[in-house]
Amino acid sequence: MTERHARTPAQPLAGAVEIDWGQLLLLAFIGGWILVFLLDARSTSLSVHNLLLVEPAAIIGLLLCVAVLPQCFRRRAVSVATEEALAKRRRERAELANIALLAAAFGAFVSTLETVGFDVGCWLFTAVAIYICGERRWWVNLSFTTVLTLVLIYGYRAMIPFPFPLTVL
Amino acid sequence: MLDVPALVSALEILSSSWSAWVWVIPGLLIGLFFGAMPGISITMAMAICLPMTLYMEFLPAIIFLTSIYTGAGFGGAVPAVLINIPGTTAAVATTFDGYPMARKGMHNEALGAGLSASVIGVLLSYILLFLTIVPMAEIVLKMGPLEMLVVAIWGMMLLGSLTGDSMARGLLAGTFGVLLGTIGMNTAGFIRGTMGIPWLLDGISVVPAMMGLLAASQLFMLVNTPYLIENEAARQISLLRIMSGVRMSLRYPVVMLRGSVIGIVIGAVPGVGASIANLLAYAEAKRTSPDPETFGKGNVKGVVASESANSSAEGGSMATLFALGIPGGSATAIMLAAFAMHNVVGGPQFISDQRHVVYAILFSELAQSILLFPVGIAFCMAAAYIVRVPMRLLVPAVLVVATFGSYAVDGNVSGPITLFVFSIIGWAMVRYEYPVAATVVGLLLGRLLENNAINTYQISGGDPAYILERPAAVAVLVLMALSFGATAWAQHKGRTRQRAGQVQG
Repeated sequence: MTERHARTPAQPLAGAVEIDWGQLLLLAFIGGWILVFLLDARSTSLSVHNLLLVEPAAIIGLLLCVAVLPQCFRRRAVSVATEEALAKRRRERAELANIALLAAAFGAFVSTLETVGFDVGCWLFTAVAIYICGERRWWVNLSFTTVLTLVLIYGYRAMIPFPFPLTVL
Repeated sequence: MLDVPALVSALEILSSSWSAWVWVIPGLLIGLFFGAMPGISITMAMAICLPMTLYMEFLPAIIFLTSIYTGAGFGGAVPAVLINIPGTTAAVATTFDGYPMARKGMHNEALGAGLSASVIGVLLSYILLFLTIVPMAEIVLKMGPLEMLVVAIWGMMLLGSLTGDSMARGLLAGTFGVLLGTIGMNTAGFIRGTMGIPWLLDGISVVPAMMGLLAASQLFMLVNTPYLIENEAARQISLLRIMSGVRMSLRYPVVMLRGSVIGIVIGAVPGVGASIANLLAYAEAKRTSPDPETFGKGNVKGVVASESANSSAEGGSMATLFALGIPGGSATAIMLAAFAMHNVVGGPQFISDQRHVVYAILFSELAQSILLFPVGIAFCMAAAYIVRVPMRLLVPAVLVVATFGSYAVDGNVSGPITLFVFSIIGWAMVRYEYPVAATVVGLLLGRLLENNAINTYQISGGDPAYILERPAAVAVLVLMALSFGATAWAQHKGRTRQRAGQVQG
């Protein structure tokens, strides 16, 4: 087996402290939101009826954020980047990019639903999402998308009491 | 306890009238279908069918609506197992082990176990209701905010068992959920955390948030997976394996019985119901199990506990409806509307004057729960085909269905936006190994905790001695403490024995 040992310029030194930026960002979001929520609740009123649960729960939440914080930093194990490890990292990045694309498409879908209508929005999002998820046969994509849109629009319209904003159907 | 002439009269009504039976199977099918559709609640299904009952007599009308209720009780478990979306809030705990079982190729067994637990749960609840309808209703009337607060605290204990590998992350996820659950205007009229968004005044819509946290987050993780079950041989849909799931569930009669009792009692309390009962039953099953570490990884006992509790909660809430004329939840509120449409008023007078009709409804409920078994198996076999759909089609389809379902909750775009926001939060939490289930439980219990804490504070005037005036609350607290103490002691003894064994070995 031929394995090429290499150290990329981006690879940190073995034994150095590594920061898990993703987790740190998530923790900062949760901790930041809890703090903002507590301050908002306190600015509304200092009455016991307002803060009876919110204040102790928020303080506990903030203390737990502090307890979790060290988990965002860890000492990097001594290892050498192999071709296989680099390929794995590239694959992970490609998968993450796929997820980000799908999430962006989903965000665009829900935020434009009322503007473009459920029929057009559903059809467009499904077609784009199926493509992102890896279906390259256009006839499978378009036929599945069309059938799904029709079934969902007519099915949900029959079942729920609220009107759907529609453009074509 | 039993009024024999009324019983005979009830049997006569049921055996002489075909109209009482003809609506059972359609009702079960409607319930299963609506229960399995994310965002379409049992209430919505019953509300849609309510006008149809105007043209029926009272007994067939109620039997039709209760059939929908019974069907939907299990219907929610089907998407919970297959795609990690609880069809109803009552099936949240079913996702904890049902979905991991499906990922391991045990979807047939998980559905079979869930179905049999549901059928037995409904049967047990109605048998118990049959025997104890009047005294049970009197007990329920004595439940005040303090008792409800104790029930909510009991539910919070579940957080301890959902923490995963890191206790701190699990508790943080749960606390985050509780705080999210208190957004909006509380019962005292204070508005917090709405960021000026009008639809947050009523709080975060639980169903879209739950779908986002549990399902959409998982779907993002599955974007690069070819099939829900990677092993092709495991993707088969098999009646034999569904029946094997039924047998698996029967190996745990204690889990099923405990789940059913929790479901009946919690279901009978107005405003609490099946959404909490399934969580409590799951927590108790995990806490008392000799293998708690396997829960959340596809332990069938988790499915059995959750499904027996959420199905038996139906019997509990029907007890409150019949005995007091008080709806225990929104589904029984629709039933109360059907009572009113036929000029019938529930409560003690109804039970004493129309006991034969009450017994006829209860007999019919027993028959419905038995019929749910074959109808449910056929439904599961059809629904299980979902595991054969490639993820590249299933992921977009489920995201779109979830979006439609979230819109159906309130009829505006707040649902889809909530779904999107929570799917991103859920995905990040899953990626960094925070238990999203703990956030969902916190979200479900946050408002209940705060409302009852405020009500208790108002009634007691902040005097802690008030608890001594509420023997029911003290009894529940003592039972909880004893039960947790006994478990901790048993675990301590087990660890000591294990260490002693290692030293000797």
